Amino acid sequence: MVDQIVFGIGITALAGALATVAGAAEDTESDIGSQGDPNSQVQLAPQMGYIHRIFNKAIAGEPPAYGLWVALGAGVAWALMAMQVNAVLAIILGSALAVFVQGIYATTAYLGRIASLAKFGQPVYIDIIKSMTTVTMAHAFVAVFTTVTVCYLINVALGHPFPLPLLGLVWGIALGAAGSATGNPFYGKERQYQSQKFGAGVPIAASGNIVRYAEAGERNSLDNGWFSSKLGGPASGVCFGLIVFFELWRTVIFEEIANGWGAVIVGILVILIFAVIDRYIEIWARKTYGPYGKPEEAA
Amino acid sequence: MVVLETLGIMVILIALIGIIIGGVLIGFGVHFVPVGGAPAAMGQAPGIATGVAMLAAGAGLAGLFGGAWAAELGLLVALAAGAVGGGLMMAITQLMVNIIYIFGMGIPVASGKVAKDPITGDTQTEFKSQGTEGHGLPFVSYAGGVIGGMLGGLGGTLIYVMLLDVYLDALPLIYSTNKEAIYLVAVSLAGIFAVGMFLVNAVLAAYNITGTIEGPHDPKFKRFPRDIVASAIATAVTGIFALGLVLV
Repeated sequence: MVDQIVFGIGITALAGALATVAGAAEDTESDIGSQGDPNSQVQLAPQMGYIHRIFNKAIAGEPPAYGLWVALGAGVAWALMAMQVNAVLAIILGSALAVFVQGIYATTAYLGRIASLAKFGQPVYIDIIKSMTTVTMAHAFVAVFTTVTVCYLINVALGHPFPLPLLGLVWGIALGAAGSATGNPFYGKERQYQSQKFGAGVPIAASGNIVRYAEAGERNSLDNGWFSSKLGGPASGVCFGLIVFFELWRTVIFEEIANGWGAVIVGILVILIFAVIDRYIEIWARKTYGPYGKPEEAA
Repeated sequence: MVVLETLGIMVILIALIGIIIGGVLIGFGVHFVPVGGAPAAMGQAPGIATGVAMLAAGAGLAGLFGGAWAAELGLLVALAAGAVGGGLMMAITQLMVNIIYIFGMGIPVASGKVAKDPITGDTQTEFKSQGTEGHGLPFVSYAGGVIGGMLGGLGGTLIYVMLLDVYLDALPLIYSTNKEAIYLVAVSLAGIFAVGMFLVNAVLAAYNITGTIEGPHDPKFKRFPRDIVASAIATAVTGIFALGLVLV
């Protein structure tokens, strides 16, 4: 009994750590590829006369894209394991295959997105395809591999009833959702609109006028990846890591209490704790930063 | 029609009703989730910077994950575990959104739809930056997101459990074997259909709110009755298909 819980705690901690890496890689990958919501501005810029050299591969949001890639990686890994291939090697091979699908996706999406902007004079840059695609694939591999490993641990070590491919789909979508929610605003406001005032949202009148010149020369997506890897990426990693950790932790440790209700109660307590923290930082921001102007009369 | 004769039409109907209720809970729950979409990624609007369907799916599937894990402990525990799972994912994600806005971007949270937060009473308008409709997640949006995640997880788990029960009874009859032998197939089928129905209902809700919504305080929230009808119909159709799969 004690051994089982200790083992479960260890697996939970490992899964949480892997998920943190997965989230960080996922957000950085999507920012290099400009796939998340800020991509609306990358797509809009040429239509406003701002030609740029940012990679542009948003034909699906991060959640369905990662749902596909992680499920694919998990599915192939599962099939290989059924053929008696070693689990570690199977997961690596499955993830590698999923990443090549991601590479095809990135290439065709970029060509398609940019071609649609031809009437506005936005060119397809061959050197952008060559240099960016491999970088997004590399980051995608890290995200897919770590997430598939998390799913494998959940299935084999912790005994979740879902088979590996289904777990891959579920956690792939969750990975994309968490990474998108956390990393996108930072990439959108602080990188694409770096020239706008710090500490305020982008005025709607500024739409499309993204930063197109780098510290030296024209900006490209590697510059954006470098930026995201310093805060947005790690924050996304912490977000997904916390999600995986607490989902597993409350079940592994507390499900034995009161025939499963222990896990429910602990889950509610954790939610309340996070709500209190959120309220605290909301108040802190209002006091510390102060208002932009005077309160208006209710509309 | 061996399966239908053995299980009885009433068992199938009860499962279908449970599935429809699950689908409606998902559709209704999505309306609570604060979705800012592309403008939220630029600090131009409150909410989370991702699409409606996908954010709801992320939270709801996290709930389904928790609920499926607890399925063997009984219906009530599974449903509660699913609800908490969905709510927990939203609580963590939304906290990180505000942390990024406040500490990463120096932007306080503010609503664009109400002058005062209905829960906390904080005034909102003076904390909106110029040229925007608010940003981040004011507390009413945060609370709405947690509720939405819980409803999504609850609905998804309900669909899964209803399907799983039918499959565990029907598949042994079809394959002339015992429950243990078809357990993995039953779990997989129920899981896949639960995910699929979840996405169907999340997308319907996305259309109903036309892309973005600030939370339960948003005027768009009042459109939910239309979505309940749409969700019930769509889930009934997909539910009949999912159940009909094994009625031979």
